[in-house]
Amino acid sequence: MVNLINSKNKFKKVPGILFGLLAVVCIFSITTPYFFTLNNFINILEQASILVIASFAMTLTILLGKIDMSIGSIMSLTGVVTGLMIHNGMPVWISVFLGVVAGALLGMFNGYLISYQGFDFWIVTFSSMGIIQSLALVITNGATVPGFGNDFRFLGDGSLFGLPVIVLIASGITILLVFLTLRTTFGSNVYSVGGSEQISKYAGINTEAIVFKTYILSGILAGIAGIVLASKVNSASPIAGSGYEFDAIAATLIGGTPFEGGRGGIVGTLIGALIIAILMNGLNLYGFTPPIQFTLIGFIIVLIIIIDVLNEKYKAKKWGK
Amino acid sequence: MSIKNDVILRLENITKEFPGVLALDRVSLEVKQGEVHVLLGENGAGKSTLMKILCGVYKKDGGKIFIDNKEVTINGVKDAEKLGIGIIHQEFNLLPFRDIAQNIYLGKEPRKNLKLVDVIDRSVMYKKCRELLDSLEININEYALVKDLGVAQKQMVEIAKALSSEVKILIMDEPTATLTKNEIDKLFNIILQLKAKGVSIIYISHRLEEIKIIGDRVTVLRDGKYIGTVEVCDTSTDELVKMMVGRKIENLYTRTYNKIGKEALRVEGLTLNKRIRDVSFKIHEGEIVGFYGLVGAGRTEVAKTVFGEYKPDKGSIYVFGRKLSKLTPTEAVKNKIGLLPEDRKEEGLNIKMSVKQNIVQASLKKVFPSGILKEELELEISKKYIKELNIATPDAHKIVKNLSGGNQQKVVLAKWLLTESDIIIFDEPTRGIDVGAKAEIYEIMDELAKKGRAIMMISSDIKEIMGLTDRIYVMYQGKIVAEFDHQNYNQEKIISFAIGKGEKHG
Repeated sequence: MVNLINSKNKFKKVPGILFGLLAVVCIFSITTPYFFTLNNFINILEQASILVIASFAMTLTILLGKIDMSIGSIMSLTGVVTGLMIHNGMPVWISVFLGVVAGALLGMFNGYLISYQGFDFWIVTFSSMGIIQSLALVITNGATVPGFGNDFRFLGDGSLFGLPVIVLIASGITILLVFLTLRTTFGSNVYSVGGSEQISKYAGINTEAIVFKTYILSGILAGIAGIVLASKVNSASPIAGSGYEFDAIAATLIGGTPFEGGRGGIVGTLIGALIIAILMNGLNLYGFTPPIQFTLIGFIIVLIIIIDVLNEKYKAKKWGK
Repeated sequence: MSIKNDVILRLENITKEFPGVLALDRVSLEVKQGEVHVLLGENGAGKSTLMKILCGVYKKDGGKIFIDNKEVTINGVKDAEKLGIGIIHQEFNLLPFRDIAQNIYLGKEPRKNLKLVDVIDRSVMYKKCRELLDSLEININEYALVKDLGVAQKQMVEIAKALSSEVKILIMDEPTATLTKNEIDKLFNIILQLKAKGVSIIYISHRLEEIKIIGDRVTVLRDGKYIGTVEVCDTSTDELVKMMVGRKIENLYTRTYNKIGKEALRVEGLTLNKRIRDVSFKIHEGEIVGFYGLVGAGRTEVAKTVFGEYKPDKGSIYVFGRKLSKLTPTEAVKNKIGLLPEDRKEEGLNIKMSVKQNIVQASLKKVFPSGILKEELELEISKKYIKELNIATPDAHKIVKNLSGGNQQKVVLAKWLLTESDIIIFDEPTRGIDVGAKAEIYEIMDELAKKGRAIMMISSDIKEIMGLTDRIYVMYQGKIVAEFDHQNYNQEKIISFAIGKGEKHG
């Protein structure tokens, strides 16, 4: 019998995509003068924060072997809900709290239908994506909720200890989620449900509850992302979040969490989201217009995934010999 | 010894009904402390259902369960675990991308005492895991991912998983199905150790030879009913088979040796990576040719290369003397080659589709030249094969997932009969199939040979392959190392070649 060596496995725990991140950083550092500066790095982190939070929401459901297509819509709705409450004289912190609760309730809606009713997760989250988007448009009459006072703007635009608050929020959430997914039984169960629902059931795990809770968590994270986004851009558009679900999927996949679920995780997604943010930043420094940026980013994502697939194939071939 | 005679587990009149099927009809079972109690029965007899009730996966509809003479209720997996019931499922229940310790302690991870969330105590978990693996003499790193393990190692991890909580009763559902001889010996050693500790083992197996070696008593189930319990030492194999199938199987292997026709398949110098090396052989019409060898000897690779799934580095394949220019499965099917793969559920069948859809799958162009499906025609064709091959299914619309292994295999076969394949490759055709269905499949194979089909048969069951074939090629480490004609069959010789010990064949 082969004795599998310890060190090999520990090495494997470093996500391969970290090298991709380093590569992107190196290329931009060498080719543009402004890229490798502290200010620009803080700038990148600030730009990346919302995508990071939204991508975590996506990653948790993809880890389960499912998906949450309604993340962008939840962001839009929680943004306008919070915005409208503030404009109607509700204290800022209560508005923010209720916005997050709204996200949780929407996640609960998805999670209930998927776990306890056994509906297909694609159908449920695609439908709720449409429903929630429409809801955001209905309650605002399609109009953007305009600017806010300084206390609300602190979240998305303020700074604390010399760092943008938004970066601190994203960092805090990252630490919490890394702990939750890698050190708690809940996190372990999320991975195992993603690996196989049947095996998890046979191990006595309440798989329905895990799915339910994960969708609630996803809703909460999307809610936070939506509120912070509204604060950052100083307005709550009813379509502010639309499209975020796709960037979040891209960040998750680049980060090494495949659609099958059960492997990958938060750290990879953090790197994935940073890569996307750095690409946007670097291409911006090159002077590309946003449409061209998106096209190039699309190509680069495909390239990264192709390299990943080839790498897997190469490994499989070596294994075969 | 009085300990040995204590009844630790008693099942009384257990009944379980699935929609439309009475899976268990008042089944009773008594297991003594420290015995290996074999549960025997054909597929669909209710063994697995009974065990799933015992370990809390299914809920029973009637009957009582007693442990240590106290009635117990088992409403879930956790309840069974608390009562000291462990199970090793037939299919691996391991998560490939999690490590050994995470798999072993899945759902029962050691926890730190924190109020807010359950935090896994990783240092305790890995330490306990190491101790457990050491106690079973399993030499695998606890941090290794399951996907990197071999089949036997996975089986060992399954055993460790079942033993990770205090078990009094351990259920093993066909634990040896995927193991080699050596590994089986190791498993039996572990079973003996457990017995010595007073653990009772409920052992489900199809392999009658094994029962003789390891079993103390046998309980036979048939069609969801209790047939009887006997002592292993004073029951013959024939009697067990009779209890199991309800009739006596006179001759398991039917074989009428036919006049050999012209050459149907010739393979020359086939080489694939390092898995097949310079393999050449011929199969004629009316001939069943066996390929024997250890798991990993390259037999399945040969079959899949002939079928066009693997691209060989060197070598050529001739069908009725004509060299195949392109090697792809499409081309193979066009040239009337059919493959019944080893992994029926993944490669042989579209498991979520109906019987009729599976049967016509490889012949759509032939059956529906216009490209438009006609359900009546599909039905008519399927009905013909259901009757011809005696496929036990209520109708042609049944989803194949719900059929037994033997009947699934017949559906795969029907698919290749419909394409009118001249060359049919059977890769482990009877694995996981019960005795009754086995006999039927042998009969069908013999019938096909009689009709002039050329048959390539891969099997790890030496009795089966010797009983059925005209010739045997023995493979070892990717090479054909010996060839035997059925007049010269010699079990010891064939096996010694297969394990690389045979002298050069002259």
